[in-house]
Amino acid sequence: MSKEKTGTDTSATDAAGGSGDVSVPAFSRRDFMRAAAAVAAGGGAWMVSHPSEQVFGWQLDPRKCQQCGRCATACVLTPSAVKCVHAYEMCGFCDLCGGYLQPGAKAQDSGAENELCPVAALKRKYVEAPFYLYTIIEDLCIGCGKCVKGCNAFGNGSLQLQVKQEICVHCNDCAIARNCPAQAYQRVPVAKSYMLKTLEGGGAPKA
Amino acid sequence: MRRLPCIFALLLLLAVAGQATAAFRFPIPEFESGYQHPTPVTPAPRLIPPAVDIAALAGALSITAWLVLKRRSRREVLLMAVASVLYFGFYRKGCICPVGSVQNVANAVVGNGMGVPFVVAVYFFLPLLFAIYFGRVFCAGVCPLGAAQEILALFPVQISRPLEHVLGLFAYAYLGFAVLAIYTGAGFLVCQYDPFVGFFRLGGTFNMFLAGGILLLIGIFVARPYCRFLCPYGVLLRWASIFSKWHVTITPAECIQCRLCENSCPYNAIVVPTPENAPDDRRAGARRLGLLLLATPLIVIFAGWTGLASHQFIARIHPTIRLAERVAAEEQGVYAERSVESEAFRAGSKTPADLYAQAEALRIRFKTASACFGAFMGVAFCGRMIRLSVIRRNRDYVADQGACLSCARCFAYCPVGKEDAAF
Amino acid sequence: MPLSDKNKPRFAANETLWRTAMTVAVVAGLFALVVSTLLIANYLQMRAVNPLDNPEIVKLRLQLAQSQEPNPTLSEQIRVLDLLARKAFFTSQKQLQAGAYLLLGGVVVLALALYLAGQSRPRLPLPNPDVPAPGYWTVRARARELIALAGFVWVIGALLAAHFTRLDVPVPAATASLGAPVIPAKAGTSLPASEEQQKTQPAAAPTVTWPDWATVKKNWPSFRGPGSYGVAQFTTAPVEWDVESGKNIKWKTDVPLPAPNSPVVWDNRVFLSGATADKREIYCFDSDSGQLLWAYTLGKLEGTPDAPPKVSDETSFAAPTMAVQGDRACAIFANGDLACVDFSGKLLWGKNLGAPDNHYGHASSLIAFQNLLLVQFDQKANGRLVALDLSDGHEVYAVKRGIISWSSPACVETPTGFQLLLNSSKDVTSYEPLTGKQLWQLKCLSGEVAPSPAWGAGLFLVANDYATATAIKFAEGKTPPEPEIAWQFEDALPDTSSPVGTDTHFYLSTARGEIVCLDAKTGKQAWMQENEEGFNASPIAVGDRIYLVDRKGMVTIFKDSDSFEKLGSPTLGEESFATPAFMDGRIYARTATKLICIAAG
Repeated sequence: MSKEKTGTDTSATDAAGGSGDVSVPAFSRRDFMRAAAAVAAGGGAWMVSHPSEQVFGWQLDPRKCQQCGRCATACVLTPSAVKCVHAYEMCGFCDLCGGYLQPGAKAQDSGAENELCPVAALKRKYVEAPFYLYTIIEDLCIGCGKCVKGCNAFGNGSLQLQVKQEICVHCNDCAIARNCPAQAYQRVPVAKSYMLKTLEGGGAPKA
Repeated sequence: MRRLPCIFALLLLLAVAGQATAAFRFPIPEFESGYQHPTPVTPAPRLIPPAVDIAALAGALSITAWLVLKRRSRREVLLMAVASVLYFGFYRKGCICPVGSVQNVANAVVGNGMGVPFVVAVYFFLPLLFAIYFGRVFCAGVCPLGAAQEILALFPVQISRPLEHVLGLFAYAYLGFAVLAIYTGAGFLVCQYDPFVGFFRLGGTFNMFLAGGILLLIGIFVARPYCRFLCPYGVLLRWASIFSKWHVTITPAECIQCRLCENSCPYNAIVVPTPENAPDDRRAGARRLGLLLLATPLIVIFAGWTGLASHQFIARIHPTIRLAERVAAEEQGVYAERSVESEAFRAGSKTPADLYAQAEALRIRFKTASACFGAFMGVAFCGRMIRLSVIRRNRDYVADQGACLSCARCFAYCPVGKEDAAF
Repeated sequence: MPLSDKNKPRFAANETLWRTAMTVAVVAGLFALVVSTLLIANYLQMRAVNPLDNPEIVKLRLQLAQSQEPNPTLSEQIRVLDLLARKAFFTSQKQLQAGAYLLLGGVVVLALALYLAGQSRPRLPLPNPDVPAPGYWTVRARARELIALAGFVWVIGALLAAHFTRLDVPVPAATASLGAPVIPAKAGTSLPASEEQQKTQPAAAPTVTWPDWATVKKNWPSFRGPGSYGVAQFTTAPVEWDVESGKNIKWKTDVPLPAPNSPVVWDNRVFLSGATADKREIYCFDSDSGQLLWAYTLGKLEGTPDAPPKVSDETSFAAPTMAVQGDRACAIFANGDLACVDFSGKLLWGKNLGAPDNHYGHASSLIAFQNLLLVQFDQKANGRLVALDLSDGHEVYAVKRGIISWSSPACVETPTGFQLLLNSSKDVTSYEPLTGKQLWQLKCLSGEVAPSPAWGAGLFLVANDYATATAIKFAEGKTPPEPEIAWQFEDALPDTSSPVGTDTHFYLSTARGEIVCLDAKTGKQAWMQENEEGFNASPIAVGDRIYLVDRKGMVTIFKDSDSFEKLGSPTLGEESFATPAFMDGRIYARTATKLICIAAG
């Protein structure tokens, strides 16, 4: 075994500078290095941060969404921070709603055999003949996307899944984004944290 | 030619996969009863102003540094740890944290086109800055992950020092691998495998709880397993702390060599005095060190090569690579059914050829990254070996500035009082 | 008093406190254990049967959906089960939440108690026996050995991983072309060049000569006429007739199976196809007498799927119009069956291109160019443009296409040569018809695109409802041609009907019944006319007149002019979705049940 190797006296590897050599000048070279490191750290913090693009939260793009159902299960929260949001202006207010009713439903009522939502979170209200308003009871909604799938397949796509920003814990690496097969999730700035499809651009025909 | 399916189509098209977007199948009604649309419920995020986050961190770091260096009180440091678990852990739900910020900074540095918010940058640099001056006070009482483990380290035992050295290398591997994942765009592994965040949120996946629970149970006896053997940020803090100016000392005054503190540190972070009875051959040691220094470049290159060789293995962490493999297998008829990912991919406008090209580009990126990762591990390996071959003499019982977490346990064991200091 | 002394624990034992703390710790520990066991049990139970996708309910629902009549017992069963499932779900969610708090509380009490216990019965600090074991030097040596061992294990692991892992991702092909003939080169034997040539092109058009463009133009070989862009070569079609009284009606014939596809004409033969879910037929009529000469019923071709495709009512099972070229006619059906028959009704070749993944049903019409039959086989995934040799149906080239559409190809003779134009639901793409080489692409469409491209005044026009109508011009003398947007129009846009262009104007007809005339130079709307009924069929330019059939079968005939000048509005007598064929002095129109030939005199 080696006996002594003192050649490394003041170099950087001399880590555990023992209590023997305590006497240091007022502002040593090491102090200077520390100060330099501090300045570098401050500068680095400034450099790597781009205050202009405050990408912050996560949101899913309903245009890409495939309604695979993973939003309900992949979120770190239970129940998920993703819920169904209704863009009413796009809705056809149909009596026979693909988002509300099971495919091939025998009647347009809220019987369990006809209703699509597994937790009865979609509420149906008569507006005027022949139109019905569909609203979401958020406390019940689990973000499974079944109604969204139905609405996209047979309707105007007004029911959409969105990350509810007031529930979301804004993970650094969104667990649903990681599991999303359609890669519909993206980081969004605070100011534009929802990506709802709306009527804009052309508009829909009036009845 | 034909569109606008009538209502009966609803019954016919039972199994239509619904990505036919942007089609207004039904006209928007014009209401006569004066009905007005409710507004869609899209509440803004509940934000904590960046200044509060930064102030909280800076305050917590300052208080901990004061408690450790001035007050020298274990109980108060522990109380600080409890407070940090409550605020940074349970209240802020473990995000944002400096441990994860390593990845955001790496992401900005490798140029993945994503800036780092200023708060995150501060969270990355501030604890390092404190470490340069005061040692790892961040670990002592600010980091919620560390603090949770510190609180639950109820019956700590010392593990053998050689084992400590080996296990410590895992943290380097984790850091290197996390940066590799960032560089290749495979994800934020450190956040993904954060073992304790599930507890802070009181919710999470089963596997997360399993990993966290096992770590905490181990941590009752082997104190702070995550901090010592895994934490990627700990590696950086260790290196900053080695050069720290006012690092905590075991004794408030002069060491009297009483050896009472010898077994007080559960982290094996007390350097014992170098014994005088140096073993036999001083030459052999010198030769070994010389050989090691000569071999270091070769070892690093070899390690880089092993990384390069296993790049295809590592590349499977990337979802796009996995998707490309799946799609290729499906094209060859290996699977009877398409996976959800593959189905979603096929609904998009990209062709399998595009995907393969993308996977190929990624593979090349993984080649570089894996080689660098291997070389980094080679450096870490050689560094440890060299450190174990170099003798630095010291007479007293002192803290190993790199490994010491400033937990303040050892203070109680030192019989020397502050009044004994010969000022 | 110095701080250090005050803050130092006393290392003083307190037996009572220790006992109490340990009792509390044991109780809290047991409690935490029980709660975590319950939580794990709850989790496993939830995972085993996720109440929200209960297979039992799914089964019952399917049963109910399949039953014709309402079934109260079944409904009741579903309701009961569903209630149970929802209860189970919400209860378990509440349990999980409550359990998490309980566990947390237990752990806090446990930690506190154990901490107190540790304080009240401290381990006194005692130095190790005299000789520290293992000694300072031994520890370092052991550590070096162990690290070396770890490094060795690491390397072995890495090499094993490297040896056993190969990514199964194919090397991407250099070109995007798909299904190009690949000759499996046999190891060791290299074929002579000529032989290789022969293998690549098994039937390099031995003796058949294909009709030239001039001959094609004298016929009505595909949807919307020669080149499929809606311009008739003959300008002598009648402007007035009466189906009721038979005025100017040369003949009327019943068509056995209905379909929305349009008639195609070659010499004295008129072709149509018709289909139901399980029957596919091609009809040939004599153009002078209207007599059904033969009907060919397709059998099962190679690869024909057993199940009928899912189509919408409007699209039905035979939406694509046939293509006819020289001595043969081809038809494609919604299940992907493609058949080529000669003029006597004999099958020359047939194949299935794979069931199209298309939620309304395949709708793109066929078009022939020289020796090639060009199929726009757009669908959700694996969409492609396929060129088949008309002589035997072998694939000459296939080009991958990204996105679904219901539009049909147009083949236009431009100053820079023939261009094959295909719309998709995102863009319009131009190909070289003989090679499939992409000439240019322009992203200017969106939605579900069914209208096909138009050509007039040196411009292409593509349009779709909820998108825009875009006129595309070309810089002079550039090869390959470089597209440029000349103008765009957004007010009234076609849904299924295709636009048509003349030398001075473009005409759009919408599903809501608007007819819009646009100035070809500027894109400004010259006029707009509202029709009571919407349009599915496409307008055809016949000389200086435009013919346009609405859904009820009324034909609006107006002048190609800056103002709306109606020349007549005779009717076909019943609903019509097809675009008529215009030959010398004759119109062949398909209605819901009939094929009608209109001829002056």
